[in-house]
This record gives sequence, structure tokens and C-alpha cells, in this order.
Amino acid sequence: MPMTSRERVLTAINHEEPDRVPIVIGVSNATGIKMKPYQGIKDIVSVKAPDDYIYDWPELGTALIDEETMHRLHSDVRGVLDLEPESVRRWNRRRDPHSDYIDSWGSGQTEIGPDDWYPAVHPLPDATTVADLDAYEGWPDMSDSTRIAHVRETARRLAEENEYAILATPWLLFPFERAHAMQGMDVFLLNMIEHPDFARALLERIAGYCKELMGRFLQELGDNVDIIKIGDDLGTQKSLMISPRMYRDFLKPVHADFISFIKERTSAKVFFHSDGDVAPLIEDFIEIGVDILNPIQTNAGTMSDLPALKKRFGDNIVFCGGIDTDQVLPLGSEQDVRDEVRRVMQILGPGGGCMIGAVHTVMNDVPPENVLAMVDAVAEFGHYPLQ
Amino acid sequence: MSIDDELWDAIVFGERAVVARLVQAAVDNNADVVELLNVTMIPALREVGNQFSAGEVFVPEMLSSAKAMQGAIDIIGPLLTKSGHKPIAKVCIGSVQGDLHDIGKNLVAIMLRGSGFEVDDLGVDCRVDDFEAAVDRGAEVVCLSALLTTTRDAMRPVADHFSNRDDVKVVVGGAVISQEFADEIGADGFGLDASDAIRAVRECLGLAGNPG
Repeated sequence: MPMTSRERVLTAINHEEPDRVPIVIGVSNATGIKMKPYQGIKDIVSVKAPDDYIYDWPELGTALIDEETMHRLHSDVRGVLDLEPESVRRWNRRRDPHSDYIDSWGSGQTEIGPDDWYPAVHPLPDATTVADLDAYEGWPDMSDSTRIAHVRETARRLAEENEYAILATPWLLFPFERAHAMQGMDVFLLNMIEHPDFARALLERIAGYCKELMGRFLQELGDNVDIIKIGDDLGTQKSLMISPRMYRDFLKPVHADFISFIKERTSAKVFFHSDGDVAPLIEDFIEIGVDILNPIQTNAGTMSDLPALKKRFGDNIVFCGGIDTDQVLPLGSEQDVRDEVRRVMQILGPGGGCMIGAVHTVMNDVPPENVLAMVDAVAEFGHYPLQ
Repeated sequence: MSIDDELWDAIVFGERAVVARLVQAAVDNNADVVELLNVTMIPALREVGNQFSAGEVFVPEMLSSAKAMQGAIDIIGPLLTKSGHKPIAKVCIGSVQGDLHDIGKNLVAIMLRGSGFEVDDLGVDCRVDDFEAAVDRGAEVVCLSALLTTTRDAMRPVADHFSNRDDVKVVVGGAVISQEFADEIGADGFGLDASDAIRAVRECLGLAGNPG
């Protein structure tokens, strides 16, 4: 008898073989689909649904996938997200449509083309002291109840339905990436060298706000959650963005504390998203309590050696993602996509501990046919025992 | 000629204030700034680039060294011009249309300046016209940067535009760019990273990839 999606995911993330490899798509930004491929998929499968955006945030560009399409995509997870405070959403709805989008931290995005926004608004580019942080008046109000007013009901409904695994994630509670948003990436990376005490203070300040919102979010979820997604992009195409030593000095303690905070409040698994080649840090992630690693960017440096990853870490961490968004999904044929899905599943799938999805958001350059080819290949070839 | 060890270390370790102090002292003492550039500063920055390529240093260290180098070039630049020091060539560089990412592009620009090129930095979101205007101002090499799969195709019209100009070379780079992609769009060169970009620019101008 086939499993429900929720059983399938829970089995896989407990390192056992479910009936088939689970599919994780469409539930958050990093596992999401941009509007253009979403519209293309709807056309192909004849679904009529509105062009809504996750987080009620058009400038992010990531589609809120309707339930019929989620079903067609065989997605085994459903999302519970937060929202920016109603006051922030209202202000952004009413602003000049081509002016900068500003979020509740004071960072934001600039329009660079039709439906194309870039995170170029940084409120603290010149800050180098704790006094500068104290003087900043734009820190977010995490107690605003309109951020999470819907969370309890959404999670309760999903838990009652008991059909899909519940993956919950408030927007960008990622301390390193949030520091980039506040200062600009190059500015913050330089400050890690030139003003290390300030850089630590900024990360800790950010982590405090992340914990405050996460605490409130988890309280609303109660037991109605299976996976909490957090993360921080730490890798590049070839290597790490910062040295392992710098990670262990600046960020690992912040991540460890955040994960402990989460695990003290929920038995849900911790899903950690980090782009690029993060293979040198996987042991650190396991040590601090990461249960699921995403997105397994197979074209980035040593992350390409999937057999080695599975052999070395497969007993202790679940791999989620793995289908290349650099070449295969945007440029490959449907057959190329199918072949890649089979290859990745055959290496990462045995014994469970593997969920398939696109590496990063499915961007606007990906043909919708290839998204369908990806999920259909899992549905067709992902049954255990894997062939 | 001898390497100035203190300046070498200060560039390699990205000690901006120390670099500025040493270079200013050299200028104040009427030292040969061309020699300082060629014998110490350029090789020091190249060393950082090599360490970056080898995975021994990472983005913050590279940024730090590049910024220190930029500070030094700001001090000696006017003197180089005054002394009649000629740049190897004039090149322009920009992130392509639709792409506002500039960290990698800025690193390459500083590495190029530090390697003896005159650099016309066009910034981000650059269109064909922007590169054409830079060529009109004397650029012999057009360097294109893109970080995203969704913006790399904006390199095509630029490469097409200059495809029948033998006097203009197009070099491409960025996280999602490969040699295959460079070949496909007809670019003259591809730089795998900031250090390799200097090699690519030199080679397409018929110079040895690794200057002595």
C-alpha cells in the first residue's frame, strides 16, 4: 500500500527507505518556482489558478503554487511561512510601483527590469561599531502579531489532513545573509576581517531577532510541524565563501545556538539550506544538529562527488535537492533531466535519507517541461528498491 | 631590484593602512614607483589570486587585499602617469544587462589595474551601447561579468556586436560561466576566477598568460 506523502517524507528523513523518493518543491523560496515557469506549468497541465506570490511578496518573484499544481508536481511537502507585518505589506502595496521594496529590517530590493528585483538596498553600509548598531532605528518588531496570525490555523489544517509533510520557514532568518542584506555582501565580508568584533556583534544582534521571531512562530505551530527550514549561503561555485576557520569562529556558534533554540522547542527536523560547495562544513553542520542539508549543488566543487557525500555523511544527514539549476534544468532536454534525476537518486537514494528537488529556486530560464520531467522522473523511477 | 617584504606581506594579508603608509613613504622618499608596482605590488596581488584559486584564502581575504591594492594604486596612479609609465592596454569591464552583482567584477577590475592595465569600469547593468562607448574611448578588451543563469545570455549580444571587430577582444567570466559557454557565444577568452581573468585578458592580446 502506498504511503501518504507525510509518511514518505518522515520515513526518508529517519534514514529508512519509503515507498519512493520524496519530492520537495514549491514550499519556500529556496525550494520554490519563479512566476514564469509556474505559469508555464499551469498552461501545460491546464490548471486555472491566480498568479500569487509567496510571502505576499511580488518583488521576490517566487510563485505561491496552487494546490492542484502542487499535487501535479507530486510535491510531498506543504509549507507554512510567515509574513512581513501588515504595516510593511500595506506600505509596499501603496508605494510607487517602481520604487524600492523595503522590508521590516530596512533592507530591500531595487527594480532592474520587468518583474526583476535585486537586493540592493542596505541600511547599514557604513556601520563599523556597536554604537552604530545601537543607533539604528530600523530594527524589526518581531512581536508584531500580523507576521504569524495565520500560522496556527494553516499548520493545524495540514496536520489534521495528515497527507503532506509540513515544512515551515519564516523568511530569511539566516544571520549571515541577513548581515549581507544590512550592509552589502562585500562590506560585511570586509568587516569580518577589518572589524571582527563588530561583525560578531552584528551577527549576534541579528540572531537575537531571528530567535525572537522563530520562538513566536514555533509557539504558533505547536506540534503541527515536521521540518523547520533555516540556513545561510556559505558556498561558492568552487569552494566556500569564507574559510572553515572563519565559519567556526564567527558563524558556527550562531548557527549552533539557533538550532539548539529550535530543538528545545520542537521535535521537528532542522533543514539547513546552504548553496554552493559546502562539503568542507558538513561535519560541522552534523555536529550542531542539522538533520537535512539542502540544496546539494551538484555542479559546485566537491559537492559534485555524490558517492563520496553519501558514503561519508549519508548515515548522519539527509540530502535534499540535487537537480542542477545551472545547466541541466535550464539548458538540458527533458531526457537530460530524467537521466540526471535517475543518477542522483541512484547514488543518494539507497537506505533513504534522500529527497529530490531543484538546486535553488526554479528560475525564469527553466522550461516548464523540464520541471515536469524532473518530478515525473522521480514518480516513475524513484520507487524502492531503486533500480 | 628587490621585493619590499613588508609591502608584500601587507598586500597579501590585506593590511590596508600599512600598505597606504608604506606606499606613501616610498613616494615621499622619491622611490621608483614603477619598480615598486612591478616588483612587489603586482606579484603580491598575483600571489593572493593564486592562493584564492588554490582554495587557501577566501572572498574576505581577497577583498581585503584588493582594497589595500586599490588604496596603493590611488596613491601612485598620478605619479605613474606623470612618469610616462604606459599601461599594458586599456580594457573595459562591466556586469551585463540585468545583473547588478559586482563583487567579482570589482575584484577583476582591481586585479587588472594592479596588473598594469588601464581599466574603464562601467559598473553594473551594462548594455551593448555602454561597451561600445568604452571601445570608442580606447578599450581593446571588453570584459563581461554575470553571476546568474538568467543574465548570462545578456553576454551574447555583446559578443555578437564585437564579433567582426578584430581589434576588440571579448573576455567573459562569472560564477555560471564556463569555457563551453564562452566558446558557444564566440568570446575570445574566459576567466575562471579573478586571477585567471588576468591570464585570459593577456592571452587574448597576444601576451604571455603569466607575466614574469
